[in-house]
Amino acid sequence: MTQTEHAHERWSEDLAAYVLGALEPERAAELERHADGCESCRSQIDWLAPAVRALPDGVKRVEPPPRLRERVMAAVRADAVAHEARRSSFFERLLGAASRPLQPLAGLAAVLLVAAIAGYAIAGSGSDGGGGGATTVVAGQAPGVVAKMVREGERSTLHLANVEQLPDGRVLEAWVQRRGEVEPVRALFVPDREGRASTQLPEMDGVEVVMVTAEPKGGSDSPTSSPIATLAVPQ
Amino acid sequence: MSVRKQRAERLADEELMPLIGEKDPDAFEVFYDRHGGVAYSLAYRIVGERAAAEDVTQEAFISVWRSGARFDQARGSVRSWMLSIVRNRAIDFLRSRAGKAPKLTFDDDAILERRQADELTEEEAMRRETASEVRGAIGVLPVEQSKVIELAYFGGFSQSEIARMLGVPLGTVKGRMRLGLEKIRGELAEGLA
Repeated sequence: MTQTEHAHERWSEDLAAYVLGALEPERAAELERHADGCESCRSQIDWLAPAVRALPDGVKRVEPPPRLRERVMAAVRADAVAHEARRSSFFERLLGAASRPLQPLAGLAAVLLVAAIAGYAIAGSGSDGGGGGATTVVAGQAPGVVAKMVREGERSTLHLANVEQLPDGRVLEAWVQRRGEVEPVRALFVPDREGRASTQLPEMDGVEVVMVTAEPKGGSDSPTSSPIATLAVPQ
Repeated sequence: MSVRKQRAERLADEELMPLIGEKDPDAFEVFYDRHGGVAYSLAYRIVGERAAAEDVTQEAFISVWRSGARFDQARGSVRSWMLSIVRNRAIDFLRSRAGKAPKLTFDDDAILERRQADELTEEEAMRRETASEVRGAIGVLPVEQSKVIELAYFGGFSQSEIARMLGVPLGTVKGRMRLGLEKIRGELAEGLA
């Protein structure tokens, strides 16, 4: 028996465990190196792999709850909004960049945070008002700022955390987007010492995106800086 | 329903992936509707809890959304790729819950850290193994073969861990795995014939 045949013999008994993912990591890595130069092992792996891929087919079917679909798609839509913003200068259009260039904020991390509104909670109408159990899944890459929106009956509240202190003369302003048009919420607010900030939002029917920017004191008629938070609202 | 979504529904999974890679949520919605059920079922089969299965399934689909552009058709179908991600995340969950691998890996190509079989109990192994009925391809096997395959695939145990849990030589586990997979593979081949 040649050295190659001997090595093949040694590894062939581990091939089933390998395709099942049941080989210890170090040994799996060694086997992969061997298989790179062993056609017989490669073909055995290729032949056995469909047997492993068939295993999920035998699992008893359990229907996922509809809320799972909502959670997944909310995260995906929020990420798509962020991607579009990065790819095609979405926010430059929102801000009317042709006539007014972006004004990055000094001292404020103008991070784009996308929060999928898994926790876009609809609390019960009872007096406790806390039936939503809101949890927000942050789907963006930016660390730091966390955004959560909670709906209680007709009232929606936007909560931000980990917001850096604003430069003097600046406040936070919320915006909503309906059918691609950005509207001011007319709600100005500031973070507290712990970096938390909250504001009430108006009627949310048809709102696709909620954004927060830093604006001059007194607010603006349209955003003048990049958003520090952007939330896609599940439709 | 949007025109984009109607168009996406007519596409095969492999044709959806480039659209998903371009961050098309309509294409992804179609993909979820096709595979959300089997993904959740697999996650539930492995973790045994609905809430955890939801988390695992969501993580897996978000991973597909973010890495769709990297899908390599030469390595198998989209469905198999997605289910392998679900399985990895579910096994990660089991290990993190057991406190032996607290960090979650988000590299689905990585070989996962293993925990020591000495710290596993036979009871836990059997709970995982019998958590739901054995059906489908694995149902054609003798019980000693189906048991080692179930423990490996649905339980996330290594062959050495399984040997220790069952109190049988490692070579026996290897042989049972091999015979079992070969039999399933043979059944699949017959089905195609």
